[in-house]
Amino acid sequence: MVVLNFTLTPEAASKIHDLLVCLGKFSDTVAIEARRERLTFTALNSSKSAYAALTLEGKQFFSTYECIPSHGGLDGRFACSMYTKALLSVFKGRLYDPLGRDGAIDRCEVSVQDRADETQCRFIVKMICNQGVIKTYKLTYEAVDVMHALFDRNSATNRWSMNAGAMKEYIEFFGTKTEMLDIFAGEDGRAVFKSYTEKISNGKEILKHPLVTAVAVNTSDFEEFKVQPGLHIVISVKDFKAIVIHADTLKTSLKAYYSHPTRPLQFSYGCDGLLCEFTLMTSGDYNGATAPTPAPAPQIASRVASRAVSAATAEARDNRSMPPPVEPASRRSARREVGSRQPSSPPTRPQDDPESLFVNQGEEEDTQWEPVDYNNEEEALGWDASTDRNAGNFATFQDSGSFSRSDGVQGNADSMEGIAPTQRVSQIKGLW
Amino acid sequence: MRFKAQIHNIHTFTKLTASLNSLGPLAWLKLGDEQVCFTIIPEQGTQVWAVLSIDAIFDTYAVQSAANNVINLEVPLGPLNRALKSALNATSAQIRLTKKDNIPLLALTIATTSSNNSYSAFPTGGSRDDGTMFHDQFAANRETIITQEVPVRVLAPDTVSGLHEPQTREPDVHIILPPLMQLKSISDRFTKLALAGAKTSSGAAATRTRLDMAANMHGCLRMSIKTDAMSISSVWTDLANPELDPSQVANGDMGIAEHPSTRMKLLGSADGRSEEGWASVRIDGKDWGKVMSVGRLGGRVIACFCHEHALILYVYLPTDGGEDESVLTYYISSYSA
Repeated sequence: MVVLNFTLTPEAASKIHDLLVCLGKFSDTVAIEARRERLTFTALNSSKSAYAALTLEGKQFFSTYECIPSHGGLDGRFACSMYTKALLSVFKGRLYDPLGRDGAIDRCEVSVQDRADETQCRFIVKMICNQGVIKTYKLTYEAVDVMHALFDRNSATNRWSMNAGAMKEYIEFFGTKTEMLDIFAGEDGRAVFKSYTEKISNGKEILKHPLVTAVAVNTSDFEEFKVQPGLHIVISVKDFKAIVIHADTLKTSLKAYYSHPTRPLQFSYGCDGLLCEFTLMTSGDYNGATAPTPAPAPQIASRVASRAVSAATAEARDNRSMPPPVEPASRRSARREVGSRQPSSPPTRPQDDPESLFVNQGEEEDTQWEPVDYNNEEEALGWDASTDRNAGNFATFQDSGSFSRSDGVQGNADSMEGIAPTQRVSQIKGLW
Repeated sequence: MRFKAQIHNIHTFTKLTASLNSLGPLAWLKLGDEQVCFTIIPEQGTQVWAVLSIDAIFDTYAVQSAANNVINLEVPLGPLNRALKSALNATSAQIRLTKKDNIPLLALTIATTSSNNSYSAFPTGGSRDDGTMFHDQFAANRETIITQEVPVRVLAPDTVSGLHEPQTREPDVHIILPPLMQLKSISDRFTKLALAGAKTSSGAAATRTRLDMAANMHGCLRMSIKTDAMSISSVWTDLANPELDPSQVANGDMGIAEHPSTRMKLLGSADGRSEEGWASVRIDGKDWGKVMSVGRLGGRVIACFCHEHALILYVYLPTDGGEDESVLTYYISSYSA
């Protein structure tokens, strides 16, 4: 029997929403691993090139936190996996609203029902709203062994740190549809972030080639910048954007740790009992030639490649490599960092309010001039006279308005299907 | 072949590319000594021929080529617009034609000192008495430099020599359009209604949304749409019909006397109720929505109606001084039924 109960303030619940939006960009499923002192959300993408672990400190992040794993003593854990979208339909946007408008909650209580004498195992979330309304969600979950990527910070000699807000401004310059990001430490006191696509097309196709964007930042604009000059390291631009956007919601600094191409890179940030670590696969020099980097032993490159294919087969591996071995009992080397982390800044989070009386100048004005997309179903005229039609197609699950647009999360990647895939409609009826 | 310029009016340039991009993804860009021309000729729909004076968007402009110092490029408008958007808060922006791996590129180099730089641990501006020397010395490398590379295709003079601006007959009616935002919101609404009606009745049948646009020489503009189930129309009155300039019309004053619009002046009325004196065209509602995208530039628009033939819009870009005007010409053909 497992005991897992915790309570969240509206601010913390809203942070869970933000981190789920971020993890949703890596994987369809998110694993939750609860220990006596902390709870970790992890996600591994399908190509096993990116691994995310977001750790919530029991004492600091939660109002109350209690976890007694069924076995394993002090180091025991309870692990389960769920659809990210299912959790997101529970942890919607705007759970935290100082003005107490629609969707805002008073607190959130979560418990796990996993007992031999119960027929159903459920992850139960209770949203206690104002005026005594209680929304209870019972989610199914799958018991899993959680995999962890190991990362050795001692061998990561290159590191930098920058305010996530500034970094977010830079990623906004990147063209859409680019795939790779080359982080280059120039010798002239600048670091260059270059987003590009590797595919070279010919003839008429050339014009469809995405923009190549290079942002040259003064290393003095970094809080810390210790990178071997001339070093190029390449990661996925999509992963980087997801990480920066999430780091920006916490108004904190983004730290990067890496050694050299083909070895993993780790981004880390966090505050107020939330520690986020993303371990990413890297590749070599852009264009091969320039900048002599410490040549990685050739067999390492090939091992990483083969590992990407066979990562599921567990075997003993040196603990600096990526992707991770299936070894649930192993400790994460980075864990020791947890205690020493200082909250960097208060989590003030200005939200764009879609219902604001103030006209959002600039962007807003420009979209008015766009031709109307008549193929957009949601725009079609119909009999629905309700005012907030734009959140989804299912009236039953409708939250008050668009739940994720306020985060500045672009695109429709996180557009919600109204009904969580793990629940039947029949189970939901009667709650609304 | 050499092209290099400072972009001095980044907002206009960005809005221009956004407007053009709604009509087609590719533009023919002709960089000449005195003018810059953007031309969009989509597979179907409205053509745009835009002629801009160089100082409408550029500064210190230099173009050189073996073909009379004219460079013809095929430019993807989406990426160009995206690249320009990142320069909206720039302290300076430069565009030049270059080559990388044998692919011609329009490279934008953008310098910004936006809020980015203020995050750094390095204090700026806090203590004014550091002296200007100190400030200037660091200002140069305090900037964040963004480069955006837009792939382009260089067009040979032969390729473009066959492209000509459409010829139309003298218009029957010319009129200054009401504010485009007003016009667009009404035409969008009409088109939506027509589409909704078509969906319920004929299902998957090709939905055509024909807007009837008509104007007379007494300041009236009428927009209407008819389907099997409904007929709606909006009429504007008290618009201006600009006077023709004798120097611009063939045969001067004689030409004006014989001009179709002079005849149309004798017909119709200023309240728009008369059935006479209208020159009308049938246009596609969706296409019109794309044309209206030009409203963001905020220019004055004169519409010329050739009855049952074509609608031509002249969009004049607002200029600071009284220099050479920049004008975008939209050619919209009328459907026969």
